[in-house]
Amino acid sequence: MRRLICLAILALLASPVAAQNIVKIGQIEAQTGANAIYGYMSSQGLALAVDQVNKAGGFQVGGKTYTIELIASDTRGDPKEASIQLKRLLETDGVKFVFGPFLSNVFVTIEPYAKQFNGKFLLMGGATRIHDFLGTPDHDFLLRSWNWDAGPKGFGNLMVDRLVKETGAKKIAMLFQNDQGGKVLVDIYTPLFKQKGIDAQLELFEPGTKDFSAVLAKLAAANPDFLFPSYSDAHLYDIVRQATEGNYFRKFFLVRGSLGPGLKNKGEIDDYFVYVPKYFEEAEKTDPKVAKFVADYKTFYKRDFPYDQAPLCSSSCYDHLFMLIEAMKKAGSVDDVTKIRKELLSMTYDGLWKIRFDERGEEIFNFDIVRMKRAGQISVTSVDAQ
Amino acid sequence: MSQLLVGQTLNGVIVGTLYGIIALGVTLTFGITGIVNFALGEFMMIGAYVTWYLFDIVGLPYPVAILPAVAIAAGCGFVADQLLFRFTRNNLINGLLVSIGLISIVEAGALLLWTTTPKDMGYVLSGAFRMGAVSVPRMKIVVFALLAAVMFLTYASLSRTWIGRAAYAFSQNPEAAMLMGVKTEILQSGVVVYSTALAGFGGALYASLYSLEPAMGGLYILKGVEAAILGGIGSLIGSLAGGVILGVTEAIGSIYLPSAFRDAYGLVFVVAILLYQPSGLFGTER
Amino acid sequence: MKVLLWVPFFIFPVLVQSNFILTIFIFSFILAIAAVSFNLIFGFTGQLSMFHAAAFGIAAYITSLTVSIFHVPFWAGLLPAICFTIVISLVIGSICFKFKLKAFYFAVVTLAFSELARLVILNWNSVTNGTLGLMVLEKPFVWVPAAGLVKIDGPLSWYFFSLAALILTVAVCWLVLRSWIGRCFAAIRLNEDLAQTLGIDIFRYKLLSFTLANALAAIAGGLYAFYTGYIEPNYLGINQSLDIISMVLLGGRSSIIGPIAGAFVLTGLPHIIDLSGEARAILYGLVLILTILILPQGVIGTLEGWRRAA
Repeated sequence: MRRLICLAILALLASPVAAQNIVKIGQIEAQTGANAIYGYMSSQGLALAVDQVNKAGGFQVGGKTYTIELIASDTRGDPKEASIQLKRLLETDGVKFVFGPFLSNVFVTIEPYAKQFNGKFLLMGGATRIHDFLGTPDHDFLLRSWNWDAGPKGFGNLMVDRLVKETGAKKIAMLFQNDQGGKVLVDIYTPLFKQKGIDAQLELFEPGTKDFSAVLAKLAAANPDFLFPSYSDAHLYDIVRQATEGNYFRKFFLVRGSLGPGLKNKGEIDDYFVYVPKYFEEAEKTDPKVAKFVADYKTFYKRDFPYDQAPLCSSSCYDHLFMLIEAMKKAGSVDDVTKIRKELLSMTYDGLWKIRFDERGEEIFNFDIVRMKRAGQISVTSVDAQ
Repeated sequence: MSQLLVGQTLNGVIVGTLYGIIALGVTLTFGITGIVNFALGEFMMIGAYVTWYLFDIVGLPYPVAILPAVAIAAGCGFVADQLLFRFTRNNLINGLLVSIGLISIVEAGALLLWTTTPKDMGYVLSGAFRMGAVSVPRMKIVVFALLAAVMFLTYASLSRTWIGRAAYAFSQNPEAAMLMGVKTEILQSGVVVYSTALAGFGGALYASLYSLEPAMGGLYILKGVEAAILGGIGSLIGSLAGGVILGVTEAIGSIYLPSAFRDAYGLVFVVAILLYQPSGLFGTER
Repeated sequence: MKVLLWVPFFIFPVLVQSNFILTIFIFSFILAIAAVSFNLIFGFTGQLSMFHAAAFGIAAYITSLTVSIFHVPFWAGLLPAICFTIVISLVIGSICFKFKLKAFYFAVVTLAFSELARLVILNWNSVTNGTLGLMVLEKPFVWVPAAGLVKIDGPLSWYFFSLAALILTVAVCWLVLRSWIGRCFAAIRLNEDLAQTLGIDIFRYKLLSFTLANALAAIAGGLYAFYTGYIEPNYLGINQSLDIISMVLLGGRSSIIGPIAGAFVLTGLPHIIDLSGEARAILYGLVLILTILILPQGVIGTLEGWRRAA
């Protein structure tokens, strides 16, 4: 369907003078299925960006005008689907730029195949497992479009440091979903907490859980200072509400998810400490680019702007298309992937986010730390990632 | 520790009644139409989303919002019955598979309408009753009371009214019932519609407690089926009892054993019951 | 004459060079093994088992783990997987059939066991790496008369390898079903009580059907793990079971090869028709409903019906 729309737009834009040159962009994300929240925003933002580029008449590289054809596939979170889709994109459609995946299990399955095309295309995804493959031989095609939690410059490190400095927390209760995302968080944060001398207790819950009373009660029994809950709003709303209603926790520390759950329960919360790629509600008021993005989204999709999910557009989403185009312009080519990659790694793009890639191909972008205290007073600290 | 136990048992009972209302729908449908309607979870989802829409977006007061939600869920149930379930009476496998197909369609519809982003309804009643360290949210108590009331009312009306006796007769011996003048087609459709209305009502109440997403029905129909089997398919009180037992088992299990296995505790219990008392705790052998 | 139907499959890869299409075929063959074997217990013996995906998934894990821990060839990993599946099928089957669980309860109990297996694999992190899954990097080796030891790596070799496995599965099913065992299955399917009065040991034959079906599913599991190169607990999920059931229904549960058509359609169609995720889900639901209500014999079954009537 999307393909037809794009082709129709292209047909309409065709003028007899400008050459009908098309750059194909592929996207592999889970738009439906259990973990669709991650792919959802990326697919929304990218489609919007493609539409804007094409409506403006395309872009110019090397004297020729190009428009974009977006081929977005829904993996449904199924690695088998993704491997078939990637084959089609690379072999049948001849695509050179693929956005996604965000899901680690999908990435790990397509990696052996993608490796065979090293040097022939670029894959820019947010999956956490991508981190392990960056910089290794035969992986020049790989780029990761998300901040890395761990490591000395990692935002996780920063967050935990701040937590200790500003609150003196000594005991933390971790409550994560028992899936890839949750597991990765456990692997990253357990050693971090240990390093800083914080006592961390862990409980896992099955995806789809709605009632957290039992597990919250269990965690609260040890009297921790903060609750460090799961990473998607789907559960955060329920967890935060039930934690406060049941009088189990009043202080929350988050590295994924939004301020939404905190705001909703603000009368009951003593401290809400969250890393947000961007606090859109504030940014909309102060940054014209963000305001324009929000307005464009509403016009294009004819629905409310998903403030809660919008921070996820920091990965293989809106900004990244424009960044890619800029890299193409600098490289003077739309298919020399080696040159384009070199440009991507040496530039800083200033859009909704200020983005640049480190020498391994992992993205570093600025983010916000939002802290909400009793009675809803909010303080936003913007952290410049460099 | 005992306060933890008390608190979680209470919570388990409340969560269990939500399983119970779906179980009631399952048991009624199975008894009268001979199939298990796996799509009941979807009707619960419809009830939940309509309630959310009317309460949050349109701004109707919560009790007023519930009524259209139940009506719409029941209406969808009627359509589903006429188009699909009417052709799968007493054919368990077909009914099962048709309801699975229906789930796909309804869930996709919900995704198109409301996307995968979860909706969190504004709080109807916030705050909790505190007794020492035990905290029970007020809204949960309300939900419990309403669900239990509806289930008892269903039981009472089925054992006292003419419709109830007709239904009972039909479930015992369909041909004889028909010969005695029971309008079997209307009875069967009626039961399907009523069970979807129950599910919709459960969904409307669910919306006041938890966040909504298109996939929410899946968990509840599984628990509903487990609870119905536990209590004994065919027994109405059994569905409430089964739901409560399931809810409490899960809660207690989660406290003393890893919570990652929460779903397993209920399952193990159900399998054990099925093997030793196939008719369930309150049921009669079917 | 039915053997001739297989010939096009052998010629196909010569004509079609596209890796993309061959991949769809390979996945279809492997899933067809799961579907055809499921039809043994479902279509032919009339029992709805929800344990099939569990057999598939458990075998995937055992094969991959045995190969990577003990550094043995693929076959040495597949064998324990099949044996374990047989043992566990005997245990679960005995429990279910001993207690004479009827249709619906059998489905529920097998579902319960399937979920338990999934939860165990999901949480046994030290062995299975839990939700993160495991990469499977090794490849199977097959001894082929003319060529010696061939490594199954790449679309062409996988194509013929999985096709051979599928033909083997179909052959096994055919042999079983045309024998007196098959007739006992049919008797159980048609009228269990009558079969019992005729002296058929219901317990034994149901158990046999269940075990054989799961053992064949184990083969599919091992192949799938090695082809995809990755295993995760979702292989044992309810969705996988439902997918297999849909394939059988779509293709037709009264024939051995019906499920193969179902496997092809359900695996390949989403990639031929470009639809949004939601539209595809709606189509899937509609297909399921229509097959039940309008084409209860499935596509192949209906075609066979027409052929016989003509």
